[in-house]
Amino acid sequence: MFDLFSDIFTYRDNALTRIDPRVKLLIALAALIAVVTSARPVLPLAVFVLCLGTIAALRIPAKLVALRLAAPFSTVAILVVIQTFVTGTTPLFSLTLGGWTLTAKAEGLRQGLLLGARVLGALSIVLLLGIATPAHRIFQALRGFRISKEWVEIAILMYRYIFVLMDRAGDLAAAQRLRLGYTAPRRALASFTALAGATVVHSFEQAGRTHDAMRLRGYRGTMPFGPLPALGRRDRGLLALLLTVIAAAYGFFAWGITG
Amino acid sequence: MIDDRVKTRTTVTPSKAGARNGLHGGSIPRLPRTAGIAAARNLRNLEIGSRKRALEIFRVEKCPARGGITISKGLAAAAFLCALPSPAFAMHISEGILPISWAVLWYAVALPFVAWGLRDLRRRSEETPWFKPLVGLVGAAVFLISCMPIPVPSAGTCSHPSGTGIAAILIGPGLTTVVASIALTLQALFLAHGGITTLGANIVSMGVAGAWVGWGVFTAARRLGLPWFAAAFLAGMFSDWATYATTSLELAAALHGDGSFTTMFSLILLAFVPTQLPLGILEGFLCAGVLKFIRNRRPELLRTVPAGGAA
Repeated sequence: MFDLFSDIFTYRDNALTRIDPRVKLLIALAALIAVVTSARPVLPLAVFVLCLGTIAALRIPAKLVALRLAAPFSTVAILVVIQTFVTGTTPLFSLTLGGWTLTAKAEGLRQGLLLGARVLGALSIVLLLGIATPAHRIFQALRGFRISKEWVEIAILMYRYIFVLMDRAGDLAAAQRLRLGYTAPRRALASFTALAGATVVHSFEQAGRTHDAMRLRGYRGTMPFGPLPALGRRDRGLLALLLTVIAAAYGFFAWGITG
Repeated sequence: MIDDRVKTRTTVTPSKAGARNGLHGGSIPRLPRTAGIAAARNLRNLEIGSRKRALEIFRVEKCPARGGITISKGLAAAAFLCALPSPAFAMHISEGILPISWAVLWYAVALPFVAWGLRDLRRRSEETPWFKPLVGLVGAAVFLISCMPIPVPSAGTCSHPSGTGIAAILIGPGLTTVVASIALTLQALFLAHGGITTLGANIVSMGVAGAWVGWGVFTAARRLGLPWFAAAFLAGMFSDWATYATTSLELAAALHGDGSFTTMFSLILLAFVPTQLPLGILEGFLCAGVLKFIRNRRPELLRTVPAGGAA
């Protein structure tokens, strides 16, 4: 699963990456709530198309987007099938499998499709957020929203050292493969546990070194989080505009309120 | 330390013990017919740039797509979907699946555990100044381990361990909840794995149920006099199964609609059996293997590090 963190694309300069992360987080949250509470599939699907269009305009590799969508979609497919055959009362069609008759119901299918649309819509919002905002700015924005200092601190450390450990573990994995460490199931399991164990041991050792380095740079048990600058006029305007658009679209598409 | 050894051992007389875990040479084994191709592919991997190379190495290359379908009367269609040759991410509930009321409820359940973990972190980092970097680093290691693909032969797919069992043994269940909440946030934002609205539910299944069951089983097994290897195996296995059972419960509770909760719960549970049952056993071996590795190579870490885990 570990192909690329989506935030590798956030270092490109475009209109989305220039927006304040707090604004992006608030808009994403509002859009997520609208999609998840939508009673009809139109709004989630419209959001999905819009987000996918934006992702395409940002020239994000289609393969990566497909990969991100594939896994949750398979889970949703299972749930749609289960819902179709388990919930509802109005029969649509019947299947006989191994002497057992399964009846698909209209309500179940409708509910399953709504669920699928919600997942696509919600997933595309998060995908776009991850593609448009670097991790450290998201953490900064979370701190701005008064998320626990300790939580943000550990998150920053984790994010930083995932890549350090990944490099190290990547070297080990390559060495193991060159020595045919994954040619048989038992051997592969032994190699895998050795790799995982070595990664954990290295993380313990690195923790001491990191702490020493941090102390030399003035760390005294807490990372300093400076105050965030106030939102600019452009960002405030954008926030107000997009929240209004989301609310209007929600009223119009999700519940069919036409005035 | 390990890395240096690996690099130097390429030119030194290899050992059989090393050959068993693939870390270094060993007596030359009988080569399979595809060994040359495998070696060439590995060499190609080594040539790729550092971060990209690591990413490339961990990527699910080609899962053994056997197309085998678990036949179960009522679940033929669901089992077919489950056996599709794609990576299995059954452990995390995808973004948008849970209705808002359930999403809020699971957030409310998860928050006290995260708060308790953070309190524990604050307390212990006052006693030991380097405790925060330690938790961050162990969290990064566990995140990495949880992203390493494991082939699940029975389902014809690759899946990944949850890592909460070993984390709970090393740093304790409270801090594992904190680490899991961060890992799940990162996965949701940058890997589209899990979600923001489903974060609470995923924290409860992985960070709370998985961590506390893993820690509880390990502690209970040790008190009953079981050897540490067996205790770690059971902790890893039950922590994985607890995560999977809780996820199924969360899904069934939210999605059963006007149907029966029990039927929906059993169906979801059964649909993920081909992946999760063997994966739990593999996670047990992983948990025991990691602990064995640390005990053999750096036992002092388990004694001197103030991690507060059960080990």
